[in-house]
Amino acid sequence: MNLLVVTLIVLGLIFFFGGVVGLLRFPDFYTRMHAAGKADTLSTILILGGFIVYNFAEGGDAASWNVLVKIAFIALFIMLTSPTSTHALMQAGFESGIEPEIDDDESESTQEKKGRDS
Amino acid sequence: MIFELDVLILLLLIPAAVMALQIRDLLAASMAFGIYSFLMCLLWAEMGAVDVAFTEAAVGAGVSAVFLIATVYCTKRKSSD
Amino acid sequence: MMKKLAGIVVFMVGLLLFYGVSNVDDFPGWGDPDSPANASPLSQYFITDTIKDSEVPNMVTAVLADYRGYDTMFETVVIFIAGIAIFAVVRVSRNNSPVCGGNKDDEPDLIITTTCRLLVPVIQIFALYVLAHGHSSPGGGFQGGVIMGASFILVAVAWDLDTALGRFSEKAAIACAGLGIIIYAGFGLASMFYGEEFLNYGITHKLLPGVESPEMARYYGMLGVEVGVMFTVTSVMFLIYGLLSTRGRMSGGL
Repeated sequence: MNLLVVTLIVLGLIFFFGGVVGLLRFPDFYTRMHAAGKADTLSTILILGGFIVYNFAEGGDAASWNVLVKIAFIALFIMLTSPTSTHALMQAGFESGIEPEIDDDESESTQEKKGRDS
Repeated sequence: MIFELDVLILLLLIPAAVMALQIRDLLAASMAFGIYSFLMCLLWAEMGAVDVAFTEAAVGAGVSAVFLIATVYCTKRKSSD
Repeated sequence: MMKKLAGIVVFMVGLLLFYGVSNVDDFPGWGDPDSPANASPLSQYFITDTIKDSEVPNMVTAVLADYRGYDTMFETVVIFIAGIAIFAVVRVSRNNSPVCGGNKDDEPDLIITTTCRLLVPVIQIFALYVLAHGHSSPGGGFQGGVIMGASFILVAVAWDLDTALGRFSEKAAIACAGLGIIIYAGFGLASMFYGEEFLNYGITHKLLPGVESPEMARYYGMLGVEVGVMFTVTSVMFLIYGLLSTRGRMSGGL
């Protein structure tokens, strides 16, 4: 049981780490929000799942079922609100005219790279 | 009460507070103030004052950040100070 | 120059504070019964006699709404005055004053409005839960009121302020802000009416139907004043948001 808890929470933390790395390393606003929003939702839900399992580690009585329902509600609202807020931020960014970084001459640049490599 | 967690939250509080006071961009300063309030809320909850933490989460991190952002929206965004 | 001086002073005070706190043995442990705050007879009284006096398990609420009823009442009045002061300073009656930002022709975004449609009722139910459950768990009128006000602010952010004002108009907000204090003071006056002190709810068991003992009357009296606090806080929060986000026009805006 403890192993399952640790696995879930560590998995959640790994996804969080991925989100943070994406937030810091990606080139423009849209890709950054993409990394932050996706990783955030999944990892929070995984960590909450870990909490639920931990809560049942000493057998399930009425109190732990109560806590399960509360944590499940939190997970549900995270699932609802986190993508929506990401969408709202993206929308606001698009409307205020942030340009995504588009590599127009992709083939050219790859050719250049190849040329440099060889 | 976990002493190490206390120290960690307090260490995060200091940059948040300095940011909230020093940043020229007032929108970012309001967000930093929200971060500060949320960390205070965590600190209260961690010290066992759940009622205060709840108030801080609702008033400090929630509504007052919204008020500040609404005010910045209607005035200048850059601080002249 | 002054800034640097102030920085030096702050740094020195911080060092002093750090020096003061660093000697951990001077401070009592967490929940230590011998610590100065817990050793005073008043704390002992609150811990042992709250349930006997008022049947309220959460002694923070009991202290806030009953033992220190005056304090909470005037806190509510402070919030009311803050709302009225912002109203007096910011509100403009002319509709030709400049609009700040935003174009009103924008359709509200479908995804955001759908999520808010789902969330707002849940937020409001949670606010009522926080209010009604303040006796046995953390919560109460202030927190519940702020959450309820935040739900109206969410409507104003997701659609626009006019939609929110259609649900909860400006006049209704001002009236509710006053009504909250009237409810609070009314409970105090009701206990005066039966020959007790102001805000001594125990006596209202003669007034409330189905309440036999003075203890339960205290319980319901606290709930009543929390409802009053919630009315004031909800409407003042919404009013302040509306005034600040539209430069006092109370239409359009964010």
